[in-house]
Amino acid sequence: MHGIAASQPYVIALFLVWAGLMKLLSRRMRAGAGHTALARLAGPARAVPAFRLVALAELAVAAVLLLPPLLPLEAAAAAALCAGFLAYLVYAHVAAPTASCGCLGAHSRPVDLRAFARAAFLLVASLLAIPADPGPPLATLALAEAAVLLALSAELDRHWLIPLRRLLVRLRRPLAAPPPAEVPLATSLHLLYRSPAYCSASAQLTTDVQDTWDEDGLRFVVYGARERTAVFAVPLTGDDPSAVRVSLVREPTGV
Amino acid sequence: MRSRRDVLKSAVLGGGAGVVAATALGSLGPEAAFATTSGPELEPGTPDPDFVEGRIRSIKDNTLFVLGSNMVFHRIRVVDGTSLWKLGPVPFDQAKPGDGLYARGVRMPDGLLAAESVWLNIVNIKGHITNIKDQTLHLDHNGKEVLCHVVAGKSVAIRSDAPPSADLSMLKVSQHVQILGAWRPDTNEVDIATVFSPH
Repeated sequence: MHGIAASQPYVIALFLVWAGLMKLLSRRMRAGAGHTALARLAGPARAVPAFRLVALAELAVAAVLLLPPLLPLEAAAAAALCAGFLAYLVYAHVAAPTASCGCLGAHSRPVDLRAFARAAFLLVASLLAIPADPGPPLATLALAEAAVLLALSAELDRHWLIPLRRLLVRLRRPLAAPPPAEVPLATSLHLLYRSPAYCSASAQLTTDVQDTWDEDGLRFVVYGARERTAVFAVPLTGDDPSAVRVSLVREPTGV
Repeated sequence: MRSRRDVLKSAVLGGGAGVVAATALGSLGPEAAFATTSGPELEPGTPDPDFVEGRIRSIKDNTLFVLGSNMVFHRIRVVDGTSLWKLGPVPFDQAKPGDGLYARGVRMPDGLLAAESVWLNIVNIKGHITNIKDQTLHLDHNGKEVLCHVVAGKSVAIRSDAPPSADLSMLKVSQHVQILGAWRPDTNEVDIATVFSPH
């Protein structure tokens, strides 16, 4: 345990300071306070004061954690705060499943597994900090823990996760499939919908596309039109809507 | 013997025109066309009797037995002239129990709906792309993940007001999209018909 317990206060304090300052200073956070689960718990009018109260508690606990000497009581206070966060997340998940938690900054994502994992991680870290530990803090352990906690923070995704995924998409090109041999039906329908032929017949149409097939560079599209059948011939190449032809015929059943 | 397609083909190529001639419609002027489309006036707020929504419980011959989300039971008759959509026009045997549907048609006196059009599993969802992997868009739709699969030859993207394109490679992580597609029943997965991308 040498050094492990001594490393924890720094990690916890870092996150408490971040959370406290965001709640106190962020204008976006204040504007979005009404959409968080805390607004549901405390009432929309009291959301901003409630956030300030939580922020002051977070900053106070962070201050006593950072200022020597480190007493077990201070780590216990941090553990109590983290247990409170977990309880709040459970409440948010149950009572306001679409609201964001407002923990470390404004974002619109509801409480998810990562938010729970982060709160649980902080709780375990605070519990680890309770036993007296004379050893010097382990810098690498503290940095690794901070990295894990940052990775669990959805608030920071736009700074690293989205650019990383964009980069992977650019390198791997997962959607760069070879162009299909056939023209997609939607492309023909887009041309059809803009054609004078379709506009003149659309009031008669009673069904969606019944049948479609390709022949001689044309795509035939068949619709029901009450007791008649509307058949359109749409060119497979070119984008001239006036080239679309239409005919209304008696339903050729039994032919 | 000529097939139905041959007859329709010769009709549109032989007599087909750029617009429907008035004679082809009898005496149908615009006002007559509107007159035939307007049915009995519906009270605002009352359900449209010619529309059904629900999930298929069972299929017998050409009749779909459908339970609506309001727990009302419907019978839907599918005939030769009915159009079925499931990621595109499909034959009747593609309708399976468990499929969700929207149907429009004519209500018969015995309560049966003679369907003109049936759309199976059709969904229209908005969200933002959280990731793109293996021909699949991961979509965040109100905090829930929806996996949207690209189907070769069927899926198209419409970027702004450009014509539909089978090339979806311009889609980016974190952008907003609207996806029209076919839900895979009882999963969070959708096959893409059209992706609408604002830019």
